[in-house]
Amino acid sequence: MIRAAKKLFKSNYLFTLGVVVCIFWIIMAIFAPVVAPYDPIEQNAEMRLEAPSLAHLFGTDNFGRDIFSRVIYGGRYSLLAGLLTVLIAGIIGTFYGAIAGYVGGKTDNIMMRLSEMILSFPSLILAMIINAVMGSNLFNTMFALVIVAWPTYARLMRSVVLSIKENEYVEAAEVLGASRIRILTKEIIPNSIQSVLIMATTDIGNQILMFSTLSFLGLGSAPPTPEWGMMVSDGVEYFNKFWVAGFPGLAIFTMAVGANFIGDGLRDLLDPKLRKQF
Amino acid sequence: MKKRLMALVLAGAMAFSLAACGGNSSSSDSASEAAESESAESEEAESSTDSESTGNNTVVIAMGSGFDTLDPGQVYEKYPQMIINACYETLFKFYSNDGSAEPMLVDTYEFSEDNTVLTLTLKDGITFASGNTMTSADVAFSLNRTKNLQGNPAFITDTIDSIETPDDKTVVINLTQPDGAILSKLAYSACSILDSAVVTENGGSDAEDAATADTAQAYLDSTSAGSGMFVMTSYIPDSEIVLEKNPSYWGESTNVDKYIIQIQDDANTQMMTLSTGDIDIACNMTEDTMSELEGTDGITLLNSSTKTVSFLMMNMDESIGGPVSDPKVQQAIRLAVDYAGIQTICGEGTTTPYSIIQDGFFGSLGQRSTDYTDLDAAKALLEEAGYPDGFDVDLTVCDLAMEGIPLTDLAQKVASDLAQIGINVNIVSEAWAAGYGDDYRDGKLGFTVMYWGIDYNDPNVQLEFLPGGVVGLRAGWTAEMDADIAELYTKATNATEDADREAVLKEIQEATYEYGPFVMLAQAPCPMAYNSRLSGVAFSDPYTVDLTQVNVQ
Repeated sequence: MIRAAKKLFKSNYLFTLGVVVCIFWIIMAIFAPVVAPYDPIEQNAEMRLEAPSLAHLFGTDNFGRDIFSRVIYGGRYSLLAGLLTVLIAGIIGTFYGAIAGYVGGKTDNIMMRLSEMILSFPSLILAMIINAVMGSNLFNTMFALVIVAWPTYARLMRSVVLSIKENEYVEAAEVLGASRIRILTKEIIPNSIQSVLIMATTDIGNQILMFSTLSFLGLGSAPPTPEWGMMVSDGVEYFNKFWVAGFPGLAIFTMAVGANFIGDGLRDLLDPKLRKQF
Repeated sequence: MKKRLMALVLAGAMAFSLAACGGNSSSSDSASEAAESESAESEEAESSTDSESTGNNTVVIAMGSGFDTLDPGQVYEKYPQMIINACYETLFKFYSNDGSAEPMLVDTYEFSEDNTVLTLTLKDGITFASGNTMTSADVAFSLNRTKNLQGNPAFITDTIDSIETPDDKTVVINLTQPDGAILSKLAYSACSILDSAVVTENGGSDAEDAATADTAQAYLDSTSAGSGMFVMTSYIPDSEIVLEKNPSYWGESTNVDKYIIQIQDDANTQMMTLSTGDIDIACNMTEDTMSELEGTDGITLLNSSTKTVSFLMMNMDESIGGPVSDPKVQQAIRLAVDYAGIQTICGEGTTTPYSIIQDGFFGSLGQRSTDYTDLDAAKALLEEAGYPDGFDVDLTVCDLAMEGIPLTDLAQKVASDLAQIGINVNIVSEAWAAGYGDDYRDGKLGFTVMYWGIDYNDPNVQLEFLPGGVVGLRAGWTAEMDADIAELYTKATNATEDADREAVLKEIQEATYEYGPFVMLAQAPCPMAYNSRLSGVAFSDPYTVDLTQVNVQ
């Protein structure tokens, strides 16, 4: 496995690039107070809409706030939202799908129809509705993202479980008298989790994008929180001052692409069906 | 093969029927016009050839959208007022943007002793574009039609009880109650005087069942039927309006022969087309696009403030407002806001009114000085109120924007200002449609930032900010709380003489200068730009641009 990972780094430059970019953003997020030259919410009316300069690397926004500092702090929210959403949606989806697939019959039918109901809505619209009804703050936005994201995991998990549960070792456990819960947690989930993991890594980038989209639409945490999506939407008013929307946009882009590169690389590594010959 | 043939036949049939439609309507239109005013039409033909030879006196304007009719009896939105003002005339008119309504079609006017009857005499020699002479019957028809259509602007005639026309030149308007704003209301687009003969002929009605009986809207969307300097010759909704000079205008015309109005509100497109000379007036600029045009030869920038105003509202009810319901805290907040900073953020042209009556209104005391801000005094007041270390408070803000300035921008600025005196503001975003709107109207918000656009151009619209008024109640400010301020409401509506009105409006502004649940933040700017070959382009609250004052140099 480690050898495979080493090979992956060497042979898959995109994966390496993704890792570098993401580690960069993680470090920035953790050490934001040290790295950022200014307070991200401190206003200065005299310095508003200044072009990028040495004092303000990314320029300043409508309130004279330093965009560089805001972009660095903004990484915290995007990373948190991306990782937490995938984690929570993944856990919920895994158990839900595993139960539906393993129990089967009517339970399966009801459970999957329920999740398909959520899937049948356009995900962005559904997230917007949830957010608008519950009021928008960071927690509610993530909650909305989780609601929208988990059914995909449940579906995937169920389909994997359906094939796994026919295996002889599951039958063996049943014959030995293991309880259903034990079979589910000890036999089925560990053997089918791999495909969920692959999906989760590729999904992080999507969730970061989705989170930025929602906050662009004004459905993230309340201002003056330095959130990338919200910063881009602030910049729309200042179309001819590219730095206001441009740099936060670039940040979203690098983070989302980086996360996707990692996801693709990990899929190559973990998915036996797609694994390249190293 | 069969299918294809079928499709061809169908397409052919459609094309034929369309052509037939077009042909029909145009021929019937021209026929009716010819019947109405043969002389006018022949003159119009002459003048149009004239303008072709002199060439360039066509002015192209780009303005915002958001409306689907140009029937004066139905128009309520912002931009159509510009068109209505060019094609129709009203009894009174706002010739400048910071004065009261002055007589236009009216020669003399007089209120009765108890201010409930307004008697007007019309000027002599006013003719409609059709050639018909304007009489008192046209005035009665127009006002009654607006009232009985019960459309969006019908509220403007709410205080009009009945209209009598003792002779051709005299109009007697009986009011339901004294109304100090009636002259301003009569200057509103919905009170434009229509050519009753032409409108009736095309389905118009001023009877009580006009809401269902009147079918003139389609006609008034295709041409105008007023006495104005221009005649609308074409209106393509959400695309283009063409106004041509009324050749038989009774008054003095400007030298503009034709207006082409593009309904297109994107600021960047307007900026580009203005700089290439494709349009002459851009009505929807932004701070950003204005800065791009700065210093461009041949383009004049116009930064004026509108009467749309944003304000902080602090609920007077302690169970809702908490600490901000305390008048001392309210005054501390009023002292802590950085008005100069807010004006910078909202863009050039922004002003802060003296108190609840906007700068530019008749009777306004002007602007609040930007050095009103006094953090030490604010801190002292907070201490007096029992909050020496400040407090935490939620500031609810919705997703609306005031003339392009997001309310969240204002909220962020206020939050950072109040932090200076120790008030820790936590901004809570709520969607207007998802509860904020109802909470605001029901007076359930403790501390919020909102904006207010005026219905018609009269300071009396601001009376709603008094205790017991519509907006006052949204801040939990009942008439009982401040009876002496509340009674100024009726005092103001009862005053009709300019001097009396001015006096009571002054009293209102002084009473709310340092007291009450509202902190007026900023009057939104209206950035516009125009080609310097034009003169007389000025921002006007009621009309955006008064097209009857624009000339080509």
